[in-house]
Amino acid sequence: MSPISSPLTPAMAPRETSGLVKFARRLKREPGLLCGLAVMALLLVIVVAPGLFTAQSPYTISIDDALQPPSDAHLFGTDDTGRDVFARVIYGARVTLLICAGSLLIAALIGGLVGALSGFFGGWVDQILGRIVDVVLSFPPIILGVIITGVLGPATSNLILALSIIHIPMFFRIARSGALGEAGKTYVEAARCVGLNEITVLYRHVLRNVLPLVLVQYMVLFPLVLQIQAALGFLGLGVQPPTPDWGAILQQGKDTILLAPWISLFPGIAVLITAFALMLTGRALQRSSDRR
Amino acid sequence: MGGYLARRLAASAVTAFVASIAVFLIVRAVPGDVVAQMLGQVSDPQAAASLRGFLGLDQPVWIQYGRWISAVFSGDLGTSWTGGRPVGPAVFDAFLVTLEIGLLTLALATIVGVPLGIVSGIYEGRWPDNLIQIFNLLGLAAPVFWTGLMLLVAVSSFAGWSPPLIYASPAESLWDNLSILMLPILSLGLLQAAAYSQFVRQNVVTSLNQDYVRTARAKGVTIRILFFTHILKNILIPLITFMGLVLVQILGGVVIVETLFSIPGLGRLLISAIETRDYPMLQGALLVVVVTAMAVNLIIDLLYSVIDPRVRLS
Repeated sequence: MSPISSPLTPAMAPRETSGLVKFARRLKREPGLLCGLAVMALLLVIVVAPGLFTAQSPYTISIDDALQPPSDAHLFGTDDTGRDVFARVIYGARVTLLICAGSLLIAALIGGLVGALSGFFGGWVDQILGRIVDVVLSFPPIILGVIITGVLGPATSNLILALSIIHIPMFFRIARSGALGEAGKTYVEAARCVGLNEITVLYRHVLRNVLPLVLVQYMVLFPLVLQIQAALGFLGLGVQPPTPDWGAILQQGKDTILLAPWISLFPGIAVLITAFALMLTGRALQRSSDRR
Repeated sequence: MGGYLARRLAASAVTAFVASIAVFLIVRAVPGDVVAQMLGQVSDPQAAASLRGFLGLDQPVWIQYGRWISAVFSGDLGTSWTGGRPVGPAVFDAFLVTLEIGLLTLALATIVGVPLGIVSGIYEGRWPDNLIQIFNLLGLAAPVFWTGLMLLVAVSSFAGWSPPLIYASPAESLWDNLSILMLPILSLGLLQAAAYSQFVRQNVVTSLNQDYVRTARAKGVTIRILFFTHILKNILIPLITFMGLVLVQILGGVVIVETLFSIPGLGRLLISAIETRDYPMLQGALLVVVVTAMAVNLIIDLLYSVIDPRVRLS
């Protein structure tokens, strides 16, 4: 122990707060974030273990029970072949959300990496990639999705391909501009002067700074990919029956909409609540990343 | 201004050219043989060869592209493979329908969204703002086709009214035309109004926090004067840019509402051309969609540079 006491008395010393406590305080301050995270946690449980929520199968056909309105036996009613809509919506969460999350992950990996490299190295490759991205972005996203899935044929793999292609340019742009901004900074120049090679600079400084941007973009784009996925399913270009998928259930309910509106009502609400929760969380994330 | 205009036009022309190649190649990425599909069960190799020759499909792809694009430049989009109708007039008719939906939706979204955004921004953090923000998020989160379906259920079960089943152009009957377009416009407009409101709110909040606005407020300038002299001018420029974005989004959204409500616009034309593998129709419709989206962006950019000359220099 040094004989001289610290200039800071214990009362003045900055109090250590753990990350968890800070996070809890933030949740208390931002009810929107709390709400969004709670819904997302619930969805995660539904995706992992749909059996916990319903004992019925989403596939069992029972013509005698066709088009039943919501009741105790069928919480969300039944569809035109007597399948339980509640079970279909619950099991549909897994199909719909995994397709969205997977396609967006592919887009984030390809778009983020290529964008960061393109922004960092620049040159004619960057010019050409920028042009290609301009062309892809000149198609309205839904139309691009309709064309790709329509031309290649409705199948889950083509749906994932379409959703990835639509979102790659959006990740490319954000990663490119992030890398471009980072590459011009003084500390990167300093790292080069010290003699670090390009790969090390790229990995240690640029990619690490681009990653948070890509993550935030992932959250911000998730509601969008969900909407496009549901729209393609609704047009009959997404997941094919009998697999339960929110957009596909909506499409099946379309023809009996005036007779049995519950078939379309509940999967739509599922999309709405999910997108709502994702937006609340994404906005909170974006705010904290802007503050950084 | 001339230099800027030339640069922007050249960039758009290059993008349009590459996009036209993309359109052409996407259409030809169809798995399987189109001619075999058209002939169906009858598999007569001679018939297949002559049909292929008639449609020009026996030529290399780049020659097919060259023929198509040079015809496009002379104003000929080709002939539909199903029904033999010229593609140009068909696409033009559909375009007019989509344009009507687009412009009316834009008008509705602006009239509803901009005032909501302004109120929300001025009352930042208080209850009107919270209420409007919930509307915004709900509007953005709701799938547009679902909103359309639910509106249809609502009007038919509560008001006992349903839109006419057969489309009528405004020239035939303005009343029938508007009644069939009402629900699609409402469902698309609600979504875009939410987007507008969100965007305007952000801009109002930002301009209210500017130093000179704070100074003016401290000097005792009332919020009303402040609003008309400073804030409105500052949100006008981003608003115009945003309008372009909204228009392009509407162009995408119409594909869905047109299919849902059976309206013969560009969106339904695209979907039916995909279903029947009608290459010339699909290419023509897709080209018009892309060029329209690009033209909107170009016009917005030019407008922007007229309002804010600093843009031209960068």
